[in-house]
Amino acid sequence: MAEPLSLPLLSSAAEVRRRERNRRLIGLALVAPAMLLVVAFLYYPVTFIVQMSFTLGSSYLSPQGPEYSTANYDAMFSRYLPNVLVTLQLAGLSTIVNLFFGFPFAYILVRKVRYRDLVRAFMVFPMFGALYIAFGMRFILLPGGPATPLFQALGIPSTAVLYSLPSVVFAMSVFTFPFMVMNIGAALSNVDPTLEEAAACLGARPWQTFRRILLPLTRSGVIAGILMVFGWNIGTFAEPILLGSMNEQRALAWTLYQRGVVQTDYGLSSAMSVVLLVIAFAVSYFSLRYSRGALVQ
Amino acid sequence: MSTVRLSQLSKHYGQTVAVHELDLEVADGELLTLLGPSGCGKTTTLRMIAGLVEPSGGRIEFDDQDVTWLPPRARNIGFVFQSPALFPHLSVARNIAFGLSVKGAKQAAIDARVEEMLALVGLTGYGARMPSQLSGGQQQRVALARVLATDPRVLLFDEPLSALDRNLRDTLKYSILELQRRTGKTAIYVTHDQSEAFAISDRIVVMNAGRAEQIGTQTDIYLQPRTPFVAEFIGSNNGLPGTVSGVEGSGEDARTIVSSGGMLLRSRSRVPAAIGDKVVAYLRPEDVVVLQDGEGSAFENVIEGTIERVIFEGPTAQLRVDIGGRELRADISGGRRLLFAKGQGRVRLGFNELTLIAAPSDSPAGVDGDGEQEAAPTA
Amino acid sequence: MTAGEMSAPPAPAARAPGAQERARRVTSRRLVDLLGHAYIWFVLIVFVLPFLTLLAYSFTGPGGTYAIQNFQYVLGSFGENLWWSFRVAGLTLVINLLVALPAAYAIVRYPFPGKRLLFSALTLPLYVPGAVIGISLVLVYNFTYHLTTSVWGLVLAMAVGTFPLMLTPIVVALKDLPIVFEEAAACLGATRWQTFWRIVFPLIGPGVSAGLMLSFIIVFNEYLVTLFVHPPEITTAPLRVFNLVRTAGLAPTTAALAVTMQLISFGAVLLFFRVFGTRYLKGTYLI
Repeated sequence: MAEPLSLPLLSSAAEVRRRERNRRLIGLALVAPAMLLVVAFLYYPVTFIVQMSFTLGSSYLSPQGPEYSTANYDAMFSRYLPNVLVTLQLAGLSTIVNLFFGFPFAYILVRKVRYRDLVRAFMVFPMFGALYIAFGMRFILLPGGPATPLFQALGIPSTAVLYSLPSVVFAMSVFTFPFMVMNIGAALSNVDPTLEEAAACLGARPWQTFRRILLPLTRSGVIAGILMVFGWNIGTFAEPILLGSMNEQRALAWTLYQRGVVQTDYGLSSAMSVVLLVIAFAVSYFSLRYSRGALVQ
Repeated sequence: MSTVRLSQLSKHYGQTVAVHELDLEVADGELLTLLGPSGCGKTTTLRMIAGLVEPSGGRIEFDDQDVTWLPPRARNIGFVFQSPALFPHLSVARNIAFGLSVKGAKQAAIDARVEEMLALVGLTGYGARMPSQLSGGQQQRVALARVLATDPRVLLFDEPLSALDRNLRDTLKYSILELQRRTGKTAIYVTHDQSEAFAISDRIVVMNAGRAEQIGTQTDIYLQPRTPFVAEFIGSNNGLPGTVSGVEGSGEDARTIVSSGGMLLRSRSRVPAAIGDKVVAYLRPEDVVVLQDGEGSAFENVIEGTIERVIFEGPTAQLRVDIGGRELRADISGGRRLLFAKGQGRVRLGFNELTLIAAPSDSPAGVDGDGEQEAAPTA
Repeated sequence: MTAGEMSAPPAPAARAPGAQERARRVTSRRLVDLLGHAYIWFVLIVFVLPFLTLLAYSFTGPGGTYAIQNFQYVLGSFGENLWWSFRVAGLTLVINLLVALPAAYAIVRYPFPGKRLLFSALTLPLYVPGAVIGISLVLVYNFTYHLTTSVWGLVLAMAVGTFPLMLTPIVVALKDLPIVFEEAAACLGATRWQTFWRIVFPLIGPGVSAGLMLSFIIVFNEYLVTLFVHPPEITTAPLRVFNLVRTAGLAPTTAALAVTMQLISFGAVLLFFRVFGTRYLKGTYLI
């Protein structure tokens, strides 16, 4: 039979703790490469540009060392304010367009359509990149191109359509449409269809059902969609460059490239990046607060 | 082939105690069942023996080897899960071969062993099939073959039949028993199903709330339950609380007199009890004989009551009798079933087999303290 | 363009409908359904239109004739760009896989504090604007890592951006894998390493493939971060397209290259769908 076991019992507790600690360490070791990748190539660079944003021009390189100032931010809010506003405008408009057209699309897709996989196959096309969309659209809208007869018939000069806000917004919306649809679709598929039927039986009209039942229940998907769409669109430049007028070409992403890479004004471009980041995370923060943590499932 | 010994084995999750200082010895070649309601700790105990869960305290020994901290792969065990858990991407043959191939055995030896195991479970020729092509019962048999292929020293079964339907369960449990006998391996079996436990076990451990309430053979725990939990969990039982009011006779004729609800009951139960101790007198429904006029002299105890309900079940009829404010259940089988079909009136009941168990101090069920009373496990 | 109406469930009738009213309601419901389907198809056509027009354009030769020599151009002069695209994508996939597999396994099977925070931290790159990643890496490559001339600079930039797309499907697949398989393997004598390669990895194959596919089509077609970070001698195909369009305007050869890229990507997607279906992409919010 068992001998008195006060001593082994104590060492058991220590052994258990030791093993638990080992398991934790192994777990951390397994995630370490991923952490390293993300820290070295995302988080550290971001802190670097935050620091950089307070230096002037390319003074970081100069032998005297960097000059620190907030001049870049002053410029951001004065000279480059239109760029910021245009970026916000483009991203915001395309988000609204995506919401407006995407929600019904997602609804029909989830509730009505049987050939869902076929639709999904088609929906990958935009994902290949805004570049091809912009390229394709530019071709379509070019004077002398396929759409010209249509525009002539409608009495609109095609140049007005080609390099304009609507075409940029349209292209951006097309690119991010699948993101919105999929997020909403995922949330919608978790909503029991019988809830809508119940609402209808109680006398609710479609709009009321939408506003009071569907919208609240799919909130997390809508938020996630908005986040994704907005985040992508404030950082893009293919559509504004290829399809936009001078105004749209002021989108921050492109200005960032011009100033940062071409003109090596590192300080200013860092400040621009910080502004972009702040915008992106502000949107995320407020949306997530509203949606109770949609992303971290 | 191995003995298994658990010494003060315990497991807690934070404040919750899943298994409390369990002492147990399993003999070589024995089939021991851990029986109890869900949450009693039987599965946790089994998984600690397997090494899938680490104990919070205590020791586990196979023969004389301390395996407490060994990982499952080093213990040379066979674990049969509730679901067959056949690897879906491997054929039946490769499933069975798995234990051998991870140890680096030669292909020829592996193939021979696989054939041998398929024959053992009656599935010769099924080697090339995929698990998804088999029925539930066949899958479980392949699972058996898989664990036996490595020639483990201890077999562990975690409710292997509960996912199968009734008929399959009955046939498969005897297959398991036969396999265990044939291979002579020590086996520890977990179930909540009493008939399963009774059908195949050499000994049964009745567990409740992390403790072993009683360890014994089927007849031990059925006829001589040592705690109120065992008395009530195993089969059906009537429990009559009362107080010891006297002791009569000596030796074989010793009787304990219990005063309960205005009746005086005589029990042959050998319980060391002093006058004034609180006890519960347990009486199994099938031991209650419904008396007709003039009968009763053969019984030490005869009481009267009013029939409240008669439930005709087919082979038996259940009588619910009101004996002075409490309800007693009596099961009648055979010819007498129809005597009280009308379910009314007064009736006399006679019985001899009355088991006395010390009443718990104030907790409604189970034992208090460290289980040092009658529920102490036998070596 | 009207937004597709949501099909209205029938309103409760105040009295039993007459035959005429019933017929009217039935057709109105059917009409709404049709409108719904039409809307879907309309949107899908809008998606595919740029591709189709480019496809048509890529076949035009000088003087408006049909020609396939534009595609020969693709293999010839653009061949190097295509080759770089494949190479960069391949290296990125390898790195992502090697880093994501242990991370996913640790997240799902090991206990350590702060998992949710960690998972958010690892999936954050997806929500950072591409230009920000681009410029920050340019600066860091220049001043700290000195990676400006190596293909690895580009590859690692791609890797960090698409890492969440590799990680998430694998995590989802692992969560769905019942732990009993690993327990059974352990009891049968397998080490953790053996268990992982012989049991876990085959069974999460679809999740891994989903990650591979998603990463591939994003990296293969990537031009934005590439523009910032690429070493001067390395121009991937999409970057080439962008530069050409910006400087030389539209040309059938450029269109041919764009079309080829899309065809290859579409082929990869179709292949994946064929083999695995769409089930394993849930949770990535991309498809």
